[in-house]
Amino acid sequence: MLTKLSLAGIKNCFKDYLVLLTGLIISAAVFYMFANLATNREFVKSNTQISMASQVFIFGMILLILITIVYIAYANSFLLSMRQHDYGLFMMLGAKKNRIGELVFIETLLIGVISTIVGIVLGIGMSMGLSQILFNQLGLTVHHFNALYWPAIVTTICLYVGLFLLSGIFNLAKLVRTPVLKLLHIDDEVYLTKRRPLVQLTEIVAGVLLLAIGYIAMAKIMTLQLLAVPLALVTITLGSYLLFSAVIVGAVELLKQTNFANKKLHNFTLAQIMFRVRSYTRILTIVSLLFALALGAISVGAGFQRQAPQMAKSTSAYTMAINDMNKQEHNLVNQLNDTHTLTYSQKIVGNTVYYNEQEFVDHPLPMLDSRQALNDGSLKTLPIAQFKKVALDDMDFTGLVPKNGQQKSEFATQSDFENLNTATTHTVTIIRLNNVLAQRKILDRLEKLQQQRFPVPTMATVGGFQTYKMFNALFSGLEFMGFFLGFAFLAMLASCLMFKILSGANKDVVRYNMLNRIGTRRALMKQAVRGEILTLFALPGVLGIVDVLFGLQMFKPLMYHPYAMTGWSILIFCVLYGVYYGITTLIYERLVIPKEQMNG
Amino acid sequence: MQKTPVVSVSGLHKTYGRKNEQQYEALKGIDFTIDEGEFVGIMGASGSGKTTLLNLLSTLDTPTSGSVEVNGQDITGFKGKALSDFRSEEIGFIFQDFNLLESLTAKENIALPLSLQGVKKAEISKAVKEVATTLSIENLLSKYPTELSGGQKQRVAAARAIVHRPAIIMGDEPTGALDSKSARDLLDLMTDINKNQHVSVLLVTHDPFSASFCDRILFIQDGQIGQELKKADNNRQTFYQEILNQLGTFEQ
Repeated sequence: MLTKLSLAGIKNCFKDYLVLLTGLIISAAVFYMFANLATNREFVKSNTQISMASQVFIFGMILLILITIVYIAYANSFLLSMRQHDYGLFMMLGAKKNRIGELVFIETLLIGVISTIVGIVLGIGMSMGLSQILFNQLGLTVHHFNALYWPAIVTTICLYVGLFLLSGIFNLAKLVRTPVLKLLHIDDEVYLTKRRPLVQLTEIVAGVLLLAIGYIAMAKIMTLQLLAVPLALVTITLGSYLLFSAVIVGAVELLKQTNFANKKLHNFTLAQIMFRVRSYTRILTIVSLLFALALGAISVGAGFQRQAPQMAKSTSAYTMAINDMNKQEHNLVNQLNDTHTLTYSQKIVGNTVYYNEQEFVDHPLPMLDSRQALNDGSLKTLPIAQFKKVALDDMDFTGLVPKNGQQKSEFATQSDFENLNTATTHTVTIIRLNNVLAQRKILDRLEKLQQQRFPVPTMATVGGFQTYKMFNALFSGLEFMGFFLGFAFLAMLASCLMFKILSGANKDVVRYNMLNRIGTRRALMKQAVRGEILTLFALPGVLGIVDVLFGLQMFKPLMYHPYAMTGWSILIFCVLYGVYYGITTLIYERLVIPKEQMNG
Repeated sequence: MQKTPVVSVSGLHKTYGRKNEQQYEALKGIDFTIDEGEFVGIMGASGSGKTTLLNLLSTLDTPTSGSVEVNGQDITGFKGKALSDFRSEEIGFIFQDFNLLESLTAKENIALPLSLQGVKKAEISKAVKEVATTLSIENLLSKYPTELSGGQKQRVAAARAIVHRPAIIMGDEPTGALDSKSARDLLDLMTDINKNQHVSVLLVTHDPFSASFCDRILFIQDGQIGQELKKADNNRQTFYQEILNQLGTFEQ
């Protein structure tokens, strides 16, 4: 009977359960996705050239476990607050405490098990989908990656079921100990946060100091080595927490004294933030960390993604050289967009390849501005006399010969060239294009055709496309991890913040209802909701961006320009974050803002 | 003396439930007026339609038919901004459960209606101070609702109801959650506001003691106004007795 009643209770607040379950499922899915990479040693080893990568993953795992613990603690208190009134009622009607305890325990565990299983299934699906997208869109080659990876499943189940077992025991103890009357009348207690200015000042100073230590640790990763990672994690987490708690209270107190506070519902919004600051501080810290991790991972991914084509551009003046282009190849070249092509004639006498000098006068072969690794691929064209001097030592030029044996290159005047008595005149066509990545499939086919006709034992052909492929293989693993984890953390961040915000909606319904009764315009109430949620989104966002800007220092030893793509990734990230803010606000408005009139 | 009505209600009907469904008629044609500066009580048992009537008067609900005029405006056709502006400018509410925002101090709670109307900071401070002095709650202004007793909370709520000088104060069982001493204090206060500040008061209650503070009482029964009692020159005790007698006849 009691089980029936309890199930009926769940039915009644199904919406709340939906929020709870969705949050937990996403959290489990993300954890699985991360565990999939972190527990897969083969994958980590084969895809990173960095010896400490697997240790970094272990620290990441610890961080994610901590975040999960906080998250589940939130979820559990939400669950408990939803159910304690019902259970109090059952007890009042004469249900035995032990029986109630049993029910609570089973309910908690059941929710845990369901969300873990669904979460893992979702995680496998997301791993599959995301990796497919990354492989197809970015042309990555990654070894030893499996969307379905048993050790990750086991790890996720162990952690989640373990945590829910603990929560169940906690709930049981709490319900059995709390007097029935108290269970029936649990009003949300209001925490007054009155703090002394000195404490606040200390918090700010300590927070900034800790953040600074964390940032410096990341920048000095070459000297600190592996120690930099845990050091940064601890100091940045603590620093963010202290800073949030002090700055929010301080800023709200300051704002309250200005004229701003007295207008419209500003005072109400400020009070809302002030009164939730204690529970918000924790969630904001977590969100800013997740924000930084997600944005950082995506920035790094994008950085590596850009690095390969960039290196390709800076190592050769053209993308590919095609000898004796046939019809099939010609069709393929025509399919390429945004290309520059140049064709030169070649005549082969013995071991020497002759070029018609006049052709280079008419259409000079561009050369790289400099051969330094860090140049941006800018080109120059030289006058013919100078070109002839330099060209014979230039790999881009000497590489134009048909690839069947060692050959020398020579220039000949037009008449000499025409007088050379050879059976056939060969051609070489160079193509240069800006976007290698987007057209890599055509380039791949062209290269295959060339290699069939002009086999090279070392496979070392010339042109930027070769370089691109080489570096792409090298960076694929890192890139994949960056994007994969970035999106995983983004999903976690979304569910984390959304969950926290929506779980406060119940209490806000009453407040907004009251505001409506005393005649607050709907537009003003909407503004208040948006303002409050915007604060919750903006604060961790800003700190997250700062974290990333400093955090990218860690990748200086690995990348040319760790900051090259930061602007773009921040922009894209902010757009996603903004969309997500819009959705949360819409849902929240729907939940808390009452109709003007009961039937209206 | 000819007085202009602050509230005038005619032919008010309210039916709940859609067509084709089972319908319930909560109000079956109500007519009455409240004159400026009058203290009117509406009494009735649970389910008699008191709350429905109050919701209609305060634009929280729309009538099925009939009209409600407040301060000369027909409020039944109001929509959107006009609705909320009407509520925030013309009506002061006092609820049974206080309806204070627990996250704001007493002062901020009282200032809320003025902030909504975009009054300047200095003027808000002045108005709040004034009303706080009238209600002798100056020393409570910086406290949060959780630090106040029930009676004190209701005083703060009363201050919020009159700070913007509404046309009428509507009380929905305002003494319902108070002990007898606090209840009497609040009723004295409302009488005082009514007499000295010339604000009309509409009090919805089922408690004869509260009702005895009114000038006139409308008894509502099964969705219609059944009886009307006037205090006239009686003192409160006699009026209280009269109310009890009237309620007694309903019971029969």
